[in-house]
Amino acid sequence: MMQLRDAFEYMVSRWTDQLVVTSAGHSSGTWWDLTHDRDRVFYLTASMSLSSMFASGIAVGNPGVNVWAMSGDGAFVMNPGMLFVERRMNLPNLTHFLISNRCYGSTEEVDISFSDHADYAALAKAAGIERSYDFHELDDFRDRFDEAVLAQGHSFVVLNVDRVGKDVRTATMDGPEVKFRFGRHVEDITGQQIFNVLP
Amino acid sequence: MVSARRDISNRIADELSECGIGLVASLPDDWVADLIKVVEADDRFIHVPVNREESAVGLCSGTFFSKTYSAAVMGASGMLTCIYAITKISYTYEIPMFFLVSMRGAIGDTAKYQVSNGIYFLDILDTIDLPYKIIESSDQLLEIPRVHRHSKVYSRPSAIILSREVLQGEA
Repeated sequence: MMQLRDAFEYMVSRWTDQLVVTSAGHSSGTWWDLTHDRDRVFYLTASMSLSSMFASGIAVGNPGVNVWAMSGDGAFVMNPGMLFVERRMNLPNLTHFLISNRCYGSTEEVDISFSDHADYAALAKAAGIERSYDFHELDDFRDRFDEAVLAQGHSFVVLNVDRVGKDVRTATMDGPEVKFRFGRHVEDITGQQIFNVLP
Repeated sequence: MVSARRDISNRIADELSECGIGLVASLPDDWVADLIKVVEADDRFIHVPVNREESAVGLCSGTFFSKTYSAAVMGASGMLTCIYAITKISYTYEIPMFFLVSMRGAIGDTAKYQVSNGIYFLDILDTIDLPYKIIESSDQLLEIPRVHRHSKVYSRPSAIILSREVLQGEA
């Protein structure tokens, strides 16, 4: 089984110009701890399953930019129907990472009681997402990273990781600061004006 | 000949397009079903049917970070399921979004199961300070661009709430 931090360290080493949307719990905290990035990451805390939909909105509006969305399995089980919407949109610039640690990472790692019987990658396949991957070992994730993540086309990538075992604090920014810093970065890389535009 | 209901759906679609809206997320309520069919067939819009109304909040909030303006179409009961997503995403991060909602449960709604939600619908919007305009006559459809623009000024969601009579082409 992978350690979340090891998997994220590898992702960060391959991270170039992708926009990142994190979810509640350990994905936000660990990504922040590793990168301290305030511009290329939208720290979407406690959205209760909406990170991939939020990322889909960014991706559909910015077809020239690749977007990495992260969900925890606690969020995912609240709203697995998101997969049907993702499949319908089939955005070539969206990769959805599901961080599966079989617990609610942001709430003292309380067990997800039904996760032992769930196969999230199979769920994605059943929803019609062909590029669905299930990684348990870091070496396998590294070996197939280009195929699963960097190849163009919507993909759903399950990272099965151990529990972190401690509280990991996320970015020390209030919501509007996250919005403005991320939005200014999108303005910079796309050349379009997001703020102070009225229809 | 175009039915009165379809005529209203077409006019609403025209107003959405006039706003520059290019993406519509929807989940059907039978009063807005015809509008959804019109949007689906209209090349001016990317239409995204969502699995539940909260997903529309996530999706439309994400489009804020682009030039693609968006709208979420649903019934009043569906909007009530979005309260957490609105306060969590829209209010925490101060992100605009635009709702187009049928006023289910109001006087004139013959569906008993809608009334229990309708009793509290507007009070709940008032409680969370979500600005809205109720459209009870087709003449008022011109309010759509103003209310949409207000969400951008306010940096939070705004809503157009459509009566049954308007959506049926009767007012």
